[in-house]
Amino acid sequence: MKELNVEALARVEGDGGITVTLDGKKVKSVTLDIHEGPRLIEQLVKGMKPEDDLTVVPRICAICTLSHRYGALRGLEKALGVRPPEKAQLTRELMMLGENVESNSLHTFLLALPDYLGYPSAIAMLNDYADDVKRALRLKKFGNHVMAVTSGRIVHGENPVIGGFGKYPSKKALEEIKLKSHEVVPDAVRGVELFASLEYPTYPEADMVFMSVNGLKNKFGFAGESILISNGKEVDAEDYKKLTNERVVSHSFAKRSLYQDKPFTVGANARLINMGKRLDGQARDLFREHFNERWLKNPLYNNLAQAIEILWSLEHMPDLVDQITALDDPPIEQPTKKSGTGTGAVEAPRGTLYHHYEIKDGLVDTADIITPTAQNLDDIERHMKLAAERMLADEKGDDEVRLGLEMIARAYDPCISCATHLVTLKRI
Amino acid sequence: MHKLRDAPGDSEADLKRQIEDLAGGRKVYVLGLGNTDRADDGAGVLVALAVKKLFPSYSYSEHDGIEGIVLDISEKEENAAVFFVDAANLGAAPGTVSIVTRDRIKETEITTHRVAVALMASVLEKAGITSAVVCIQPLRIDFQAAMSKPVADAVEKVAGILSDIMRSKP
Repeated sequence: MKELNVEALARVEGDGGITVTLDGKKVKSVTLDIHEGPRLIEQLVKGMKPEDDLTVVPRICAICTLSHRYGALRGLEKALGVRPPEKAQLTRELMMLGENVESNSLHTFLLALPDYLGYPSAIAMLNDYADDVKRALRLKKFGNHVMAVTSGRIVHGENPVIGGFGKYPSKKALEEIKLKSHEVVPDAVRGVELFASLEYPTYPEADMVFMSVNGLKNKFGFAGESILISNGKEVDAEDYKKLTNERVVSHSFAKRSLYQDKPFTVGANARLINMGKRLDGQARDLFREHFNERWLKNPLYNNLAQAIEILWSLEHMPDLVDQITALDDPPIEQPTKKSGTGTGAVEAPRGTLYHHYEIKDGLVDTADIITPTAQNLDDIERHMKLAAERMLADEKGDDEVRLGLEMIARAYDPCISCATHLVTLKRI
Repeated sequence: MHKLRDAPGDSEADLKRQIEDLAGGRKVYVLGLGNTDRADDGAGVLVALAVKKLFPSYSYSEHDGIEGIVLDISEKEENAAVFFVDAANLGAAPGTVSIVTRDRIKETEITTHRVAVALMASVLEKAGITSAVVCIQPLRIDFQAAMSKPVADAVEKVAGILSDIMRSKP
């Protein structure tokens, strides 16, 4: 028995590795091993006031901090009978666009792109692709700026609160976002063209099931009340457990999910496959131009989907700013009850994120947080196993197989820090 | 390796001289990295915040979005030197300060969903800007723990040295 290892998976968030176990030329198993320790957030927030929970849970991740905050807000507000004002909802949408631009630009240009262009890292890419590295930094800077204006600061902003915002962004700050979003659109278009021009290896291809939220008001978006499945079904977000069916495996500190006993994928490609027809602007045109049947089978297309989302987010900002600035600042809506349950479903950059709460007498009784990476892990392993089998059958060398598997794992943009926020691990 | 605490006297002067040599006649920027929620890991941010009180346009921290600041500096076409300040495991006594120059920054990008320091240094280098990392050895990086005394002392001393050097620039 031989093992082929990627001990530390580079260019992802958190500490993970890949183990391929071979029996001769037969692949016995491929595992994405999560080394990062458990973080026990759900137990930590038990007994807390909802407003304190809202400060703690975004600490699960400094990358998708606002997705965690938005997911928690949606779950807590439902549980407490709070209906946020329209201006709050629109401003939250804007902050999510900022996070999407920030996170997707870093992942596509700086973490995934080197694989396709044959460089070991973005640093090595700098000599030949300096303009693209700078594009990534420019887009990330702008995404960070939008996050800071809306949430109060770049990381772990505290401004979005239950029932609204502590302080709404000024008209001047919002108009600046509108202006600057136009300026960086060409960078995003270049990103789409670059990722559309890449060769995506066929090794991991297999039929896939995709899940994403059904965007609010039946539009493309990053929050919803129900979940779309690429098999044509739609499930209420409150029934998320029927979709995720979490379980524990021995080689990972992150839980796993299966839908009808099969792995599934969440993320940018899932969003575009389920809601791509709702895109508008250049994002719609470029999606239509570059979408093909391979998207439905090949997880590597997640990178191109992320690039299209950056463009859509930027193109959507001016209209959102106009809607926000047309409204007066409303007061913060107060809870109408002290006990209740609620599930918030939002789209973090790397996929659907659930925050479920049961509140009793004004305190958190139960919290259940299911992250996109935890949902994706089984499908990542499935595609890696297929790719390993096919690459070895094609007489590919160990290094090439290693890189091929790393590319698949990285394409999912896994956030291992998020995925290990909780564990119930039994070692036998 | 500079040991500010273990060898007061020569080593602090050495450290200052080393930073001055790297800065040359250039404008100095201080960019503080780290996480203030994690005790000594926030050392770089605290240095930058202390220097920012005196030089608000030349000192930035994670709170300002370091990657964007690096991009701005690289596009300014000015003669500048950039000092990243960060907690780093040097295997030394807590509070030990060491300068790691661009050529010694490890280029491996492990566990990062932020832009690696090596990449930021490379972007600056391509724009003709000198950079180095001022590393401070942490004692503890636990969530919500207090900063340790040796690291707090090192923060104060590094901030003082950088401020002195920046004060002397035109």
